[in-house]
Amino acid sequence: MNWLRLTCLALLGLTLLPASGTAQSGPLRIEITEGVIEPLPIAVPNFVAETPQASDLARRISQVVADDLRRTGLFRTIDDSAFIARVTNFDAPVSYPDWRAINAQALVTGSVRQSGGRLDVRFRLYDVFAQAPLGDGLQFGGGTDSWRRIAHKVADAAYSRITGEDGYFDSRVVFVSETGPKGQRLKRLAVMDYDGANAAFLSDGSALVLAPRFSPQGDRILYTSYETGLPRIYLLDVNSMRRRLLNEQSGTMTFAPRFGPDGDTVVYSASTGGNTDLFSLSLRSGRQQRLTSDPSIETAPSFSPDGSQIVFESDRSGSQQLYIMSASGGEARRISFGAGRYGTPVWSPRGDLIAFTKQNQGRFHIGVMRTDGSEERLLTASFLDEGPTWAPNGRVIMFTRETAGASGAPALYSVDISGRNLQRVATPVAASAPAWSPLLP
Amino acid sequence: MTTGAYISGAGHLFMMLWVLLGGVIFRAPPPNVVSTAEVSLISPEAYAELAALPEPESTQDIATPSAPDLSDSPTVPDAALSPQSPAPRPEIAEPADAEDVPEPPELDVPAAEVDDVAPSPPAAPDTSDQVALLAPVAQPEAPRSAPRVAPVPAPAPPPLAEEAPELSPGVTETPEAREEEPVVEEQPAAAPPEATTEIVTEAEDEGQAFAPRTSIRPRQRPPRQVLEATRTPTDPEPEASDNLSAAIAGALAEAATTPEPTAPSRPLGPPLTQGEKDTLRVAVQRCWNVGSLSTEALRTTVVVAVSMLPDGKPDNGTIRMLSSDGSQAATSQAFEAARRAVIRCGLNGYDLPADKYEQWRDIEMTFNPENMRIK
Repeated sequence: MNWLRLTCLALLGLTLLPASGTAQSGPLRIEITEGVIEPLPIAVPNFVAETPQASDLARRISQVVADDLRRTGLFRTIDDSAFIARVTNFDAPVSYPDWRAINAQALVTGSVRQSGGRLDVRFRLYDVFAQAPLGDGLQFGGGTDSWRRIAHKVADAAYSRITGEDGYFDSRVVFVSETGPKGQRLKRLAVMDYDGANAAFLSDGSALVLAPRFSPQGDRILYTSYETGLPRIYLLDVNSMRRRLLNEQSGTMTFAPRFGPDGDTVVYSASTGGNTDLFSLSLRSGRQQRLTSDPSIETAPSFSPDGSQIVFESDRSGSQQLYIMSASGGEARRISFGAGRYGTPVWSPRGDLIAFTKQNQGRFHIGVMRTDGSEERLLTASFLDEGPTWAPNGRVIMFTRETAGASGAPALYSVDISGRNLQRVATPVAASAPAWSPLLP
Repeated sequence: MTTGAYISGAGHLFMMLWVLLGGVIFRAPPPNVVSTAEVSLISPEAYAELAALPEPESTQDIATPSAPDLSDSPTVPDAALSPQSPAPRPEIAEPADAEDVPEPPELDVPAAEVDDVAPSPPAAPDTSDQVALLAPVAQPEAPRSAPRVAPVPAPAPPPLAEEAPELSPGVTETPEAREEEPVVEEQPAAAPPEATTEIVTEAEDEGQAFAPRTSIRPRQRPPRQVLEATRTPTDPEPEASDNLSAAIAGALAEAATTPEPTAPSRPLGPPLTQGEKDTLRVAVQRCWNVGSLSTEALRTTVVVAVSMLPDGKPDNGTIRMLSSDGSQAATSQAFEAARRAVIRCGLNGYDLPADKYEQWRDIEMTFNPENMRIK
C-alpha cells in the first residue's frame, strides 16, 4: 500500500501548484485601465523682454498664450502669484523643483525681442516632472501689429506638442453680426479671431446676409445675400474685399453654399419652381452639375475632407434627415435614424465625425455621429442651438445659441467634442452663423 | 487556476475519503523492525582530551554579506536630465510682412542628455579582507618613530651604520699611487642620521603596525564531526599547536578556494498579493491624466517599464516604453502621460512592501485607455 500513500502525497503536492504558480517571474506586471480626466496644470510665466520696449508686449503675449491654453478646457493655468521661481532669463536653467512644488506639470517660457516694427518671439516647453523639454524650442517673427497671431502660434505649438493634435488658435471665424431689435435686426458679415478679438465688419448691413463659409485657404468667403431681393450666393475676396455674384439664374434662389476641399468646387442648393436640389459649380470653368433631382428639399451640403462624398439634409423620407452620397451625385444613403429632425450636417476635418443640429421634443441639440450614423452623441441642449462649425483640428465645435423671449439674442458658443467645456465665445455684438477658417499660414 | 482548483478539490476529496475509509480498506503496515548496531564507547579521558582541543580560529561564522543600501546607489544625476547647460542658438527668422508670420524656424536647441541606461550597480564588496586575521590586507608601512623630520623619506641606512665623527679627506689618485697598492685603512661604515617624514608619537605607534584595518565577523564554525572524523583511534593525539596550525592552514585554504560573492542579493520574498498590486494600480491611476490627450492617443495602449528604488520611488531615468499599438505621434503623447503618472504619484514612494522588494523592483505597466475614450 505504499504506492497508495505515494499517490496521495503526489496529489497533495499538486494541490499546492496553484499557490506556487502565482510566484512572481520576471517584472511585476499591472494594467492601468482607469485614469482621471482633468485639466493639465501648466505654468506660463511672463515672457522675458529682451529689449526694454518689449516688456509690455511680452506680458500681453504670454497672457494670450495662457488664455488660449486655458480656454481649451484641457489645461489649467497656474496663477502667477503661486510661482516660486521667476524666469528672468530665457536661457537660464529651469528650476524644476520649484515648478514641481506648485504642481505645474508643463511649463512655457519665452522671450520677446522688439526692434523697430519687428517682433521676434522665442519659446520653449518643458515637462516638469520628467525634467526634460517637450520638443525643440521655436521662434516666430513678424510685425509688432501681428503680436496676437504670434502669441496664437506659440499656443498652437504648445497645445500640439502636449495633446498630439493640431492647434486651432491661429484661426479666424466669420459670422453674422446682429444688431437692433429682434424684429428688425441688422445683419452684417463680420470676421474675428477665434477668441473674439480683432472683430471687423465685411458688409455694411444694407442687405440681409446668411451662412458665410470660409474657403479651405481662408482667403475667400462664400455667403448668401438678399441684395437683389432673392437669396443669391456671393464670393468675397477677403484681402481685396471684392465680391462677385455666382451663377446668376433668373428666378432661381441659390443658398447654403460650401467650398469643396480643393477650393475650386462649390456645392450649394438651388430652388426652382418650389423644388430644392443640390448642385456643384466649378469656380474656374463655371461648369455647373446637378447632384440631386428629387421632389423633396435637399440642402445644407458639406464635403468630406477628401472631397469624395457629400453629406446633406433631405426630407425625402417624410422628415428632415441626413444623407450621404457621392460628390458626383447619385444614390444617397440615410445615416440618421433617431427620433426628431436632423439638419445642417458638417463633416469633420478629420473625416471621422459629422456634426449636426437636432430638433426633438421642442429642444435643439448640437450632436455628432460617425459617418455611418452610429455612435450619435448629443453635446448640447437648449431652446435653440444650430449651425455647427468645426475647428480646424476637429476637436471643437462652434455654434449659435439663441435665448428665448423678446429680449433673446443669438450668441456664439463652443464645445469640445467630448461634450465638455461648453463656453460662450466673446463677440462685440450678438452673433450667429459662425464658420471657422482653416489654420492660418 | 481552474486546473489547480480541480486538482486541489480532487486531492482534498481523496484525503477525506482516505481518512474516513482508510482504516477499512487499507491494512496498517507492519511495525517497523528495530535494528540495532554496535557502538564503541570512548573513555572519559579521551573525551576530555577531545573537549580540550582548542577551537581553530578559522571556523568562525562569516556573516552573509549584507546587500548595499540601494538608496545610496548612483542614480541618474539631475544635471544629465536637465537641459540647463546648453545655451540655445536660435536662428533669427527673416523679417516678414505684418500679414504673414514666417515659417517658424526651429531653434537649435541641443537635446538634453538623458542617459536611459541605468547606472551600473555598485561593485560587489571586496571580501578578500573578510579573513583579515588570516590574510591581512596589504597596508602601507607605518612610519617609524625618529627624532628628526626630513622633507623626503631618507633611504634606508645600511646595516650597522654608525654616525661618522667627521668627513674623511678625499684621496687624489696619482700615477705613482696607481702603481702602488693603496693602503686603505679599514674604517667602519658611516651614514647620515636616520630621518622620517612625520613624527609618530608613541601612542600612535603602539599596536598600529599589525592591527587589521577592518574587523569582520568570523567564519562559520565547521561541524565538529568533521574534525572528529579525521581522527582515528590509532592516530596519535595531536598537539595543541599542531591543531592551531592545521586550523589556520585549513582556513587559509578555504579562504583561497571560497568564491567571492558576485553581487549582493536581497531576499526574494513572497509574491505580491492582489491587494498590494491593486494598491499600486490605484495609486498610479490617480495620476494618469488623459484629459489632455488627443482622441488618437486615447486609442493607444502603451506598455511602460520602470525600475523601482527600495524606498518605493520610481527611478525616473529608467522609465521607458516597451510597446505601443498607436502611431508615433499618439504613442509619444500616451507615453508622456504615462510617464507623468508614474513620476508624479511616486514622488513620495509607492506603498509597496519592503520585504518583497525583489518582487516589485522591475515593473511593467500597461496603460490601456479603452475605458477613458470619448464615447
